[in-house]
Amino acid sequence: MNTPNLDNYTLIIMVDDKQVVLERILQVTRYRGFLINGITAKVNTGNHVATIELFVSSDRPISLLVDQINKLVDIKSVRVDNNAS
Amino acid sequence: MTDSKPLTGGGLLFKVLEQHGVNHVFGYPGGAIMPIYDALYDSNVQHFLCRHEQGAAFSAVGYARASGKIGVCMATSGPGATNLITGLADALADSIPLVAITGQVPTAAMGSDAFQETDIFGLSLACTKHSFQVSHVDELEKVLHQAFEIALEGRQGPVLVDIPKDVQIAIVEQTFKTAPPLKNKVELPLADISKALDLLSHAKQPILYVGGGVGMANAIEEVRTFARETGIPSVSTLKGLGALDTDDANYLGMLGMHGTKVANLAVHDCDLLIAVGARFDDRVTGKLDQFAPDAKVIHFDIDTAEINKRRKADAPILGDLKENLPLLTMPLELKSWQAKVQQMKSDCAWRYDHPGESIFAPAVLKEVSELMPKNACVTTDVGQHQMWAAQHMSFDDPSNFLTSGSMGTMGFGLPAAIGAQISRPHDTVIVVSGDGSIMMNVQELATIKRYQIPVKIVLIDNEKLGMVRQWQDLFFEGRLSETDLADNPDFIMLATAFDIKAKQITQKSEVTAAINDMLDHDGPYLLQVKIDAQDNVWPLVPPNSANNEMMESA
Repeated sequence: MNTPNLDNYTLIIMVDDKQVVLERILQVTRYRGFLINGITAKVNTGNHVATIELFVSSDRPISLLVDQINKLVDIKSVRVDNNAS
Repeated sequence: MTDSKPLTGGGLLFKVLEQHGVNHVFGYPGGAIMPIYDALYDSNVQHFLCRHEQGAAFSAVGYARASGKIGVCMATSGPGATNLITGLADALADSIPLVAITGQVPTAAMGSDAFQETDIFGLSLACTKHSFQVSHVDELEKVLHQAFEIALEGRQGPVLVDIPKDVQIAIVEQTFKTAPPLKNKVELPLADISKALDLLSHAKQPILYVGGGVGMANAIEEVRTFARETGIPSVSTLKGLGALDTDDANYLGMLGMHGTKVANLAVHDCDLLIAVGARFDDRVTGKLDQFAPDAKVIHFDIDTAEINKRRKADAPILGDLKENLPLLTMPLELKSWQAKVQQMKSDCAWRYDHPGESIFAPAVLKEVSELMPKNACVTTDVGQHQMWAAQHMSFDDPSNFLTSGSMGTMGFGLPAAIGAQISRPHDTVIVVSGDGSIMMNVQELATIKRYQIPVKIVLIDNEKLGMVRQWQDLFFEGRLSETDLADNPDFIMLATAFDIKAKQITQKSEVTAAINDMLDHDGPYLLQVKIDAQDNVWPLVPPNSANNEMMESA
């Protein structure tokens, strides 16, 4: 899905393990103009916190998506992984 | 409810609504929500039966916007739930606090394509601030309290709670004694006050750009004090109308696509734009890169995601307007800028000397505005009449002008007025609608009849989908595609069928007496105002143009 003139980003998103939180993140990501290139998600069953790694690309600044995902109710944190290639 | 009857999930719903001070709900019953309607039978909450779930959603929106309280609507599963969606999307786009309750098929039947089953939880993702599906009655109370909390915190919005039928029927074992305290989790670290003060003290030609956020933050007094003490000329968005003092010499009216010429020219020329609870919507900015092209920006907002979304802020100030605006309130020396905009304002004043005997809608709406009682609440539908109302009527509070701003939903005005009237029974409520829009939720005339809701409907009738016709004439070579409504129903007969007194006027000479008759009438009233089908809304900033390139005639 990678288009050459788009910028690639990796987001690390920590969420409460609530129903449809993953769907919400995917919906916002698509609606705000970001292509999803890959995703990994794991739940820590001890504290019910899930860690989602989201690989996206877009011609829009990543801060737009970070701010929108941060607004979702069950989100604990969102950060851009600057070490990812 | 008697003590002998065990509390069910449905009963618990109304208990929680009462804890949150909800006296009125709008809805429509059906199979999967019957246990909730059975519990309603024993409740003190008053339910208004609307005649379509979209009407219920918009009545809840009108109720919330007119009163500042949360609006509540209810619908059954499947088509009942999907019919709420337009109202939820409208509430999300205009940041209106709403709680929508939907019935769902029993949990055992969910996912089986059962009768009247739809995935409203999935459908809600793009049209609510948040949503819940309750899988067990033990979760219900907490979820309902959370729904109220989320609807009201930070930037307000609609929350949907989907409750399967078996959860509505289930016996509640234990409830909280009181509602858990609401906590505001919004953390707003960003407030560049010193940078903003620096920009403000160096500005020669600043403009105050006020949006709907001011009313929602209850910061009307603060924004008026800021405008008065600084002397900064001010403009308003559609949703901000009513926030500023319209008698202030430095108030320039609405900006944007159908804004005043002086507002758009002043914003274009400004060197500092102070955006307060506004979000640089495309209908405000016109061509974005030519909007206030030489201005620095101070942006006050409660929503982090609005900062730098469409326009970079030189000084973002996140947080509560009530606290932050006074930090920047100080006298400024702006005499030459004020003189310049006041001269422009006087040169561009509205004219009402329309030739001929046919009725000029802007003049009618101006007169309604002058004759209506203090604190009257006006709702509109969407189209030419909406823009004329925004241009030519005056409001002293945003809760007195309810219009579908962001979504631009035709069919908003009539049900919103019903909700507004129920929330404020002692105030006059006026719907300004068009002959296209009124038909979008015309079934709500039956709600008016049922509860004898005394709303006054000013129906601006040009037998056209006027705004689309205007655009077809101006930008599509006059190819009038599907915009003629010459075969409208007889609106007088239609109103009469719902026991609503009605009158039609066609001549200028009839206007004043007709408005007075309407306002003096105790019950509901429909005034059909026939206008020339060729009348356009001016000025108009054409698509993809800068705001200083507005058209003032065809």
